[in-house]
Amino acid sequence: MRTKIGCVPFFFAVWMVFPGSLAAAELGKADMVEILKGIDVRVKSSGDYKALVYIEQREKDKPDVAREAIVYRRDADQKLMILFTKPKTEAGKGYLRVDRNLWYYDPNVGKWERRTDRERIAGTDSRRQDFDQSDLAGEYDPAYVAEDKLGNFGVWHLKLTGKPDKDLAYPIVEFWVDQKTGNDLKRQDFALSGRLMRTSYSPKWQKLYSQSKKADLWYRQEIRIFDEIDKSNSTLVLIQSVDLQPLPENIFTKAWLETKSR
Amino acid sequence: MKHLFLIAFRNLLSHGRRNLLLGAAIAGATALLVFLGCLSSGVKFTVLESATAVATGHLNVGGFYKVTAGQSAALVTDYKKIRGIVEKTLPDLDFVAPRGRGWARLVSDEGSMQVGVAGVDMANEPRLPKVLKMREGKLEDLGKPGNVLIFASQAKKLKVKTGDNMVFSVLTARGVNNTVDVRVAGVAEDMGLMTSWNTFLPQETLNRLDQTNESVTGALLVYIKDMKRIPRDIDLLRKALAENGYTVMDRSAKAFWLKLQDINREDWTGQKLDLTDWEDEVSYIMWTLTAIDGLSFLLTTVLLVIISVGIMNSLWIAIRERTREIGALRAIGMRRRGVMMMFVLEAFCLGAMSTAAGAVAGCLLALGLNALNLPVPQGAQFFTMSATLRFAFEPARIIGGAVIITVCCTLIALIPSFRAARMRPVMALSHVG
Repeated sequence: MRTKIGCVPFFFAVWMVFPGSLAAAELGKADMVEILKGIDVRVKSSGDYKALVYIEQREKDKPDVAREAIVYRRDADQKLMILFTKPKTEAGKGYLRVDRNLWYYDPNVGKWERRTDRERIAGTDSRRQDFDQSDLAGEYDPAYVAEDKLGNFGVWHLKLTGKPDKDLAYPIVEFWVDQKTGNDLKRQDFALSGRLMRTSYSPKWQKLYSQSKKADLWYRQEIRIFDEIDKSNSTLVLIQSVDLQPLPENIFTKAWLETKSR
Repeated sequence: MKHLFLIAFRNLLSHGRRNLLLGAAIAGATALLVFLGCLSSGVKFTVLESATAVATGHLNVGGFYKVTAGQSAALVTDYKKIRGIVEKTLPDLDFVAPRGRGWARLVSDEGSMQVGVAGVDMANEPRLPKVLKMREGKLEDLGKPGNVLIFASQAKKLKVKTGDNMVFSVLTARGVNNTVDVRVAGVAEDMGLMTSWNTFLPQETLNRLDQTNESVTGALLVYIKDMKRIPRDIDLLRKALAENGYTVMDRSAKAFWLKLQDINREDWTGQKLDLTDWEDEVSYIMWTLTAIDGLSFLLTTVLLVIISVGIMNSLWIAIRERTREIGALRAIGMRRRGVMMMFVLEAFCLGAMSTAAGAVAGCLLALGLNALNLPVPQGAQFFTMSATLRFAFEPARIIGGAVIITVCCTLIALIPSFRAARMRPVMALSHVG
């Protein structure tokens, strides 16, 4: 039975208070949009954000590579910086997003290169979106697939299709959202051709009270990404030491990253 | 003059062992110069052959299209109109081949690699069947959508053979991930280092992968009948395209993909055309030729200095031994110029005979190694550009090298010859020693 659109505010209010209470019903479009908005709101920080990130990359016939980076975010201005600190060969390299432009800096070359906002981070299967705030409700139109089970978790299985006016790295995404918490636990990204490109799991979520937001900020503590094209490749992302204290004003500049790279 | 030649030649024979050693040194230096010259020519021909088959025409009408100031792609829009201008403008045109250009990840069940993708329409590619040697499969199958042609080294790395399926994965110019499934239509023999990262797809399949329409291509590869006309033809094209309202970029001797970063920084949108020749498109590997030429120049210079010292030394000894003979010749009327010519001709004869022998030896060595078809280790292929050692023979270069060494031998003989010519007959006749 499809939930009536007119009842959406009521159901959403019920879902916010008792997230598991809608488990038995099939979701209407408005409900799904609200679920996506819920994820967007929860991971968005109205103040500043800093986190220590470990990225471990596994590729066939190559030794595993582990990287450590610091992620800085100022969601209000859509600013993001990823500064690599380990290993030594990667230290000082970084990404900076300013005004919808993503820049990459390599201290060995000493030059800034403009990169596409949707490219892989440091050649791994991770993308900028994995470290940034999300705008799922603004970028995708959701469709209901099924009520499903993911291990012990009851989940909503949704299919998201990119809105026509949006340029997205993955135009089709399938989402498995925990019915109890509203957090996405599994995500599958598809290419324009419809081929499955990557599957990622977010089994661990953490929350932190944000003074500026006056609410909890949720973040994925662990993301496991599996390359579905080159099946032997996978990436593990661990997000730790999240700090919501205000960052220095001048931090999101090329000059700042260059000084840190020396 | 004939007598002077005869005297010089007999003098060479009379000091056989000394001159043989010196001649062998000159011949060795010449052989080395010729050998390295043949290697350099071999690399150049390999690069030309593989580059003009795989990546570039004799000259190219490429270009860049920018949807926004920060995002560019190597594309030529409405290429049929530009092709018309090219065909009208160039008097010695052979043919024009529109080629799609791109980079993608090619994935098989066993592995993956980043490759360059050339989109081809077999109807416009009369040259490909002549230059590509198929190891397996049929080149004609490349005309069917969804097929791919790869090279032997790629097939080995990806562990695939004809008929196997693979996937091309790409981030399109608009930043959207896309894939196409392809089938291996055939595996061609490697043609140097460039073929280790280039693949061929039907243009239709590349358009589907890159999400571009059929009026778009990567570049027009222009083949002409006389390659010496390339600079003149580029000027003609530049003028013709500008007259037809196209914006043509300033000439930059770089491969198209090396220009993308700079173009992304420039503040313009729309289409700009870029004219290049084959050397521009392979400039990133031309260093290998410079390195081989530099090495041969350095080695030959060092050897020439050593040989020059040897020739001077040898002539000093000859002059000392034949001082009374010089006195006698002067006394019976030989002029100073004659004495000088006698010694200069001696060095010239030695140089000419030795360099001729050295050039022949160098050529024979190169021919022998060519026939052996020696495999080159992976690391050294960055220098040779080929999986096997290949030498090529440019007569002008070989003869030029031999002439230069002969001239050097002759010129260095001027100093002792001049001293010999200045001897006073009385003093020379009374010389004891």
